[in-house]
Amino acid sequence: MAKLIPAPQTFQDLIFALQTYWAKQGCVVLQPYDMEMGAGTFHADTFLRAVGPEAWHAAYVQTTRRPTDGRYGNNPFRLARYYQFQVCLKPSPDDIQELYLDSLRHLGFDLLTHDIRFVEDNWESPTLAAWGLGWEVWLNGMEITQFTYFQQVGGVDCRPVMGEIAYGLERLAMYIQGKESIFDIIWSEGPFGTITYGDVFHQNEVEQSTYNFEKADTSMLSLQFDAFEAECRKLVADKLVLPAYEQMVKASHTFNLLDARRSVSVTERQRYILRVRSLARAVAEGYLASREALGFPLLNKAAAQGVT
Amino acid sequence: MNLANADLLFELLTEELPPRTLLSLSNALTQGIVSGLDKACVAHGKSRSFATPRRLAVWVRACALRAPDRNAERRGPPVSASFDANGAPMQAAIAFAKSCHVAVGELERLDTDKGAWLVYRAVESGATTLSLLGDIIKQAIAALPIAKRMRWGSNAAEFVRPVRGVVLLFGAEVVPLEILGIQAGRVTAGHRFHTKRAVTIHSAKSYEAQLARAKVVADFAKRRERIRAGVLSFGAGVGKTLVDDQLLDEVTALVEWPVPVAGQFEERFLALPREVVVATVQGHQRYFPVERSDGKLSNWFVTVSNIESRDPIKVREGNERVVRPRLSDAAFFKDQDLKINLEAHAAKLTGVIFQTKLGNYAEKTRRVKILAETIGARISAGPEVSRAAELAKADLMTAMVGEFPELQGTMGRYYALVQGESAAVALAIEEHYRPRFAGDALPASRIGQALALADKIDTLVGIFAIDLKPTGTKDPFGLRRAALGMLRILLEGKLNLDVYELIGISAMAQPVQKTQVAEEVYDFLAERFRGLLLERNDGSTTEMIDAVLTGRPHSPLEVDARLQALKEFLQHPDASVLTGLNKRIANILKKAQIGNEVRVDTTSLIEPAEIRLHQVLAQISSQVLEAAAAGHYSLSLMRLMGLRASVDDFFEHVMVMDEHLVRRNNRLALLRDVQLLLGCVADLARLPG
Repeated sequence: MAKLIPAPQTFQDLIFALQTYWAKQGCVVLQPYDMEMGAGTFHADTFLRAVGPEAWHAAYVQTTRRPTDGRYGNNPFRLARYYQFQVCLKPSPDDIQELYLDSLRHLGFDLLTHDIRFVEDNWESPTLAAWGLGWEVWLNGMEITQFTYFQQVGGVDCRPVMGEIAYGLERLAMYIQGKESIFDIIWSEGPFGTITYGDVFHQNEVEQSTYNFEKADTSMLSLQFDAFEAECRKLVADKLVLPAYEQMVKASHTFNLLDARRSVSVTERQRYILRVRSLARAVAEGYLASREALGFPLLNKAAAQGVT
Repeated sequence: MNLANADLLFELLTEELPPRTLLSLSNALTQGIVSGLDKACVAHGKSRSFATPRRLAVWVRACALRAPDRNAERRGPPVSASFDANGAPMQAAIAFAKSCHVAVGELERLDTDKGAWLVYRAVESGATTLSLLGDIIKQAIAALPIAKRMRWGSNAAEFVRPVRGVVLLFGAEVVPLEILGIQAGRVTAGHRFHTKRAVTIHSAKSYEAQLARAKVVADFAKRRERIRAGVLSFGAGVGKTLVDDQLLDEVTALVEWPVPVAGQFEERFLALPREVVVATVQGHQRYFPVERSDGKLSNWFVTVSNIESRDPIKVREGNERVVRPRLSDAAFFKDQDLKINLEAHAAKLTGVIFQTKLGNYAEKTRRVKILAETIGARISAGPEVSRAAELAKADLMTAMVGEFPELQGTMGRYYALVQGESAAVALAIEEHYRPRFAGDALPASRIGQALALADKIDTLVGIFAIDLKPTGTKDPFGLRRAALGMLRILLEGKLNLDVYELIGISAMAQPVQKTQVAEEVYDFLAERFRGLLLERNDGSTTEMIDAVLTGRPHSPLEVDARLQALKEFLQHPDASVLTGLNKRIANILKKAQIGNEVRVDTTSLIEPAEIRLHQVLAQISSQVLEAAAAGHYSLSLMRLMGLRASVDDFFEHVMVMDEHLVRRNNRLALLRDVQLLLGCVADLARLPG
């Protein structure tokens, strides 16, 4: 029997443990994308790297903003702003499930004690023109991870396929630490005392919820949306796909804010989604063309280094 | 080796398969392989399927080692064109022999009355089963009902989930084939956590037992029964575990080694409506709820884990942890929802679009209310229809229905009772969504029926008015279900209502006006009605159904009564008399048409036979129509038989196509009246014979 690894007792130790584990597997450990986004998938190093033939292996924490999920800091399980730990492996290795399960062992879970299950959960992002098949992973009935094989991103077929693993950090931390509220999660513990998740983010949840649901200026937001959209299109035409991508991300978040204010009707909502989707497609196609123009640099590098 | 046959074992080892389609996938794979063997004429014994979250396998016993030999015969050119005067083969014969890969001398002669031909005869030996297996398996995989196939890694292969291993044994031997990019062998995996070592399968016969030792119950049905017994015995101490069959199948598809675990939630959550607790525990968490012996829900549940845990308490506590926040959410929603009453919730319906062109749910509610009141008045539903209609959609605005959409209607009933609405109003709110699916219960109360009909008619007519009627398999507004629901309510609820009129009333109330919309909806409904009557399989034929549906009748209940009467009448030995009469008259009227405005002029009736027919018709007509009006359609049809003698007499003694125009038209008008009466229950012309 393998020796049991002690579980990380703080939120930051959990992140360190995952980073260390995935770094050992060969992943580039990146930092969060410095923009507001609704999921780790929006990080350019997942979304864009999923397109085209180049291999890619990365892991990072991504701040996730979901304005409609805000509960003014009153709900122990729901936040408008939280974290995902994102791993993307392309092409998805044959032992990707085993790699993932080993990461749980690395977090101190004995897999002959806990009931781990892969339960069908297919992913589709209408705004990103993306879909994939996979599972949510259950730990004793609780969803702790989303596991997806991307089939299409930005309307482009994924060949090879990227495997995406997105850990719900707060859920894992609550489970490991035995907490009943996100805000009670111990973030750090040391000579300066104990700091909880609530100490760091509770006020933010209250104020951001108030902003998202009550204060956000919807006429300004809709003007901004139009501007981001126009800018994105212009940049795509100028073949500046990475700046164009950021404008798309801004448009997407702006739409999420409008949505939280409930100022868009059902049909309008659909139209906004289609507008972002069309940007995502344009950017994905532009990115593929730009990488091709560069001769798919990572492909050559991998060949030169003799790795696949 | 002198064996004539061998067992076939094929296993796909995969990553976790979708639980709701596992069983159909497994059956289709077995079916595909068996029918592939059949098509190739490979004799075989019984087949068995195995299906777990990580594998699909098929075992076919005693497959013949090869397909049987076949006698082949190919006809060539006529003998006359094959040899020249000297008996030497000519070009045609040489070419044919070449195409058969033999010399001309090896060809035989086929003598017939029409001449003699060259013929090639040979015994073609059957292909070996081994050589056929690749195609059989590939075709079976390609034909599987998979909604979305996926790729993984850099592979070109596509399947429902990534495939990680293939076992393919024929007898004791591995069949060296590549399937879905993987070389077949005899090695598979046992339980994901309990069995580290790979499992080397000796033979098809040992497969199930070898996997069992590796903590995998490979047989789906055996695993299902093991789970059923397990969850029932775990609940026995408290009362009775509620085992929903669909959930049982799903759970069976989620585990390879089922281990039941009982857990509890706090008793205070039992104050929630039972449906809410069940939706949370069963719907969201896939746990089996447990009922107490007094029939009330207990705070226990049974879940099925996939592991013999070193510390089962951890598994139990983990599952309890998950259900708690969900139930707390539900309790929170209930408290929030009850802060305002249903009227106040209903007032917010203005903010929810039913369909852009058809307005919001408040507008739909107003339309439904008027229609429900009209229907209610006809079926004596009483004055509370209006109240029920006003509140019917209010629960759509509640937080609980936002979280549990499947509880729409149910929460409306519950909240209505809390705020002191009458039991009838509360029940109607719940019932108006019924039937929600094929085979679902129907609204039983009059108010519920009125409201359910009104809601469905409004949706049907509205969506048709904006030209979004269903096409192909696309039916986003569930119009087919709505139409079938309406018909079932009318037929099984014995409601004699004029649907055409109700459609018309609804059409006028729609914000979008479209000409002919009532006809379109009627036709759509008639199409569903035809299907529904046929599906009943009660002996009604398409012809009978067409016969009662001609003339666009307005009341489905009445149509059904006519159909039953017609079916009964057609059992009668003399039934063909009426269809015969009808046909004879129709033939005459086809050639000499007569306008409906032409009346029979009694003063111009001169022949005794026509005078008699006229009298008999008047007398029988009133009897027939009287019976029909009372809904006694069988009696109507029997009474029509009374026309037989006078019509026969008429045809024998009266010349219809008289030279005298007035007399001729008079006779045609008389026959037309007879024909009209003959069709008063069903259009007899639609019937055979």
